[in-house]
Amino acid sequence: MQFSQKAKEHIDSCRFCWMCHHVCPIGNATGLERNTARARALGLSLVARDAIEYSEDIINNVYECTLCGGCMTDCVTGWDPVMFAKEARLGAALDGKLPEYVMTMLKNFEEKGNIYGADRNENIPEIKGGDILFFLGEDARAKGCAKVAVDVLKAAGVEFTMLKDEPNSGYSMDFLLGAAAEAKTVMETCAKTLNGYKTVVCYDPADAKVMKREYKEYGVDMNAEVVTFTEFLAGLIKDGRLNVKNCGEEFTVQDSTILARDLEETEPIREILSACGNVNEMLLNREHTVLAGNLIMNEYMPDVMEKVAQRRWFNAENAPKKATTVVTSSVADYALLATTKPEDMELLKVEEVVAKCL
Amino acid sequence: MTDFLFDVIATELEDAVGKENCSTRSIDKITHSVDYFWLSRMWADRGLRMPEGDFIVAPKDAKETSAVLKIANYYKIPVTTWGAGGGTQGGAIPVCGGIVLDTKRMNKIYDVNEQGMYIECGTGSIYKHIEWAANERGYATMHYPSSLTCSTVGGFLAHRGIGVSSTKYGKIDDMVLQMEVVLPNGDIIETSPAPKHAAGPDLNQIFIGSEGTLGVMTKAQMRIYEQPESRQFRGFLFQNMTDAFNAGRELLQKFKPSVMRLYDEAETATLIKKIVGVEKKGAFMNVAIEGVKEMVELEKKILLETFAKYNAEDLGSEYGEKWWKEKITFFYPGHMMDIPQCFGTMDTIAPYDKIEKIYWAMKEAIETNFPQARFIAHFSHWYEWGCMIYDRFIVDGDKVPQDPHEAFRLHQEIWNCGVRTALANGGVVNDHHGVGIKLGRLMKEQYGPAMQVFEGIKKQLDPNGIMNPFKLGL
Repeated sequence: MQFSQKAKEHIDSCRFCWMCHHVCPIGNATGLERNTARARALGLSLVARDAIEYSEDIINNVYECTLCGGCMTDCVTGWDPVMFAKEARLGAALDGKLPEYVMTMLKNFEEKGNIYGADRNENIPEIKGGDILFFLGEDARAKGCAKVAVDVLKAAGVEFTMLKDEPNSGYSMDFLLGAAAEAKTVMETCAKTLNGYKTVVCYDPADAKVMKREYKEYGVDMNAEVVTFTEFLAGLIKDGRLNVKNCGEEFTVQDSTILARDLEETEPIREILSACGNVNEMLLNREHTVLAGNLIMNEYMPDVMEKVAQRRWFNAENAPKKATTVVTSSVADYALLATTKPEDMELLKVEEVVAKCL
Repeated sequence: MTDFLFDVIATELEDAVGKENCSTRSIDKITHSVDYFWLSRMWADRGLRMPEGDFIVAPKDAKETSAVLKIANYYKIPVTTWGAGGGTQGGAIPVCGGIVLDTKRMNKIYDVNEQGMYIECGTGSIYKHIEWAANERGYATMHYPSSLTCSTVGGFLAHRGIGVSSTKYGKIDDMVLQMEVVLPNGDIIETSPAPKHAAGPDLNQIFIGSEGTLGVMTKAQMRIYEQPESRQFRGFLFQNMTDAFNAGRELLQKFKPSVMRLYDEAETATLIKKIVGVEKKGAFMNVAIEGVKEMVELEKKILLETFAKYNAEDLGSEYGEKWWKEKITFFYPGHMMDIPQCFGTMDTIAPYDKIEKIYWAMKEAIETNFPQARFIAHFSHWYEWGCMIYDRFIVDGDKVPQDPHEAFRLHQEIWNCGVRTALANGGVVNDHHGVGIKLGRLMKEQYGPAMQVFEGIKKQLDPNGIMNPFKLGL
């Protein structure tokens, strides 16, 4: 396993540093020491020194990271465990050492166009509209539902297109393989389709992230403007195209880690919820948010994902003013929170709040 | 151990804590073999493997801990308790192999008790998490060490940790009300329902600081405090250390600030200059006063009057506020000493009649005997009767032997010299990082025949000597 000089530097800085121990959603859920940035770095530093092999055991540990960036955000120096975890995944791919569960997902991707091996959802209609493309994304198509989002866009009179044969953004490939040629090819294919539109509204923050960040990083040509669904929705309310009534309800935001950290977007969801009711914050909010779920990891460590989501409900229940309704715009967070929801709490997607208040 | 016996023990441990909570994976063994102790870091840096546990087990509560200890006692296997691994003294390193008992699954917050002003939690809780739990209700734990985010409640209790606001709120041993402890034989006990009493010796204080040698603390009630109405900072510059000690002592006869930190000239010129921005020569002191607003105003007046008597230059509030904001920044890689440097913190404590003498003696001993080392210090936990020195030696990477055994030797020699000098001048082996494997050999030198008290307790509670062997000098 060959690491870049940059990765080595970050690995060596993190291997003996415990400062972000408290923020890892996986470590907090499992209580396992290996689920920390420092443990991962220590293992990889020994690999880099040829003291240990880049074994299945170490590689599995690399795949136990959600890449949520909590550790990176916490680090005042700017060390980046996400970067070296992704590089280690790429290394595993290049060395032909990918774990079996990753190989299964890659095979699914090859056969079905998504890592979950889901058949095409015939219930998702094709909508032919203007030069705005509403991009649902792999997770929403295979594991979620964006019907209410579509209804809300229609209610606002937005002319948009939604594809039956939507290309894959490359988010899951990037998650599994890092900067591999295969991931880049998927992104290039997607970009060709997206470039036929003026604006791409991404329902899932994960797709917006790769389009805005990784496409640029990997040199993928992308001309269309990429907008997150929350930003777009907030704009519709601000412009008066969506007339919502304030129902006086209290909403607690489960910030998507991708929106809050990778895309630095925290306010649009609050603007939407403030128009529909009142925002009651959890202690750990905005860039300090905690991941509530990752659907890719749910394929190979579902028990841990369940614990991760349960812990986030615990945060909501213990908010300075107890939360009653948690709202999120993250497809993955919603999916995992829904399976663990306490009976006395409500969980809504952001578009469901809007639809209620129209 | 034969493969057969290994499997026998592994399956019994799996039965005790659940298969998924008993690991023999190499990644788990490796990550529990290196803590913050410089020697373990140096060893790993040189590509060497530290001693590793054979089984990494994570019980969820006292009952499961008890089951693990019963198995360990039956097979006479060493048990090393691991919190989060942030210790500096090698206390959590499984030097004899055996079982590493990771406490982090015991991270439940059972009760935020606003009536009794405490949080009851599993000792595997990261302290920052109980701080968050307190903050959610408008309270605070007031325990703010640099390792707040990366150490467990049990970890702090095990080595008698301390935070930056200790002068007002105390050490960790002042912050605990009651504990649940699993004894080496598996019995589960509770300490006294209240920490102050006349019902015999204080059981809490027998286990606090015992570093996993006498049992495993599994649950604790930790104090919480009201958030202060006002918190004000004031930076000062002293021209000499004697004035600073006298000013500090006099102030503490009048009231207790929360933060009091005096940096010697060398540390002022390096760390304080870099992080806080103080450019002037001298010894920087930061003082924080907090509590009810009117009281804070009065205390500020007393502070300024007292320090003026000792010719302290008043630097205003800016540096102190910056220090508070950056108080943990000092400890991130890039701001902190790190490999390839060789370094250590030889914190000790003594009454005011000895403390300055200890400082100068240690400085001279280190700088004379190890000209390759630099010596810097600050004094950060103050009492009415004395204070603590956080003195550090630093040897830059180009002066540290590449050969790990030679580097090991240099490290030990510096420590022996520094701590023996402290002891000879009235100090102690350690103030708040504990003893671990790093300083165990020096415990007898401090305690002499008094060590038999510890040895007697150890022998009675842990006759098979399975609990954290070779730590604490036991």
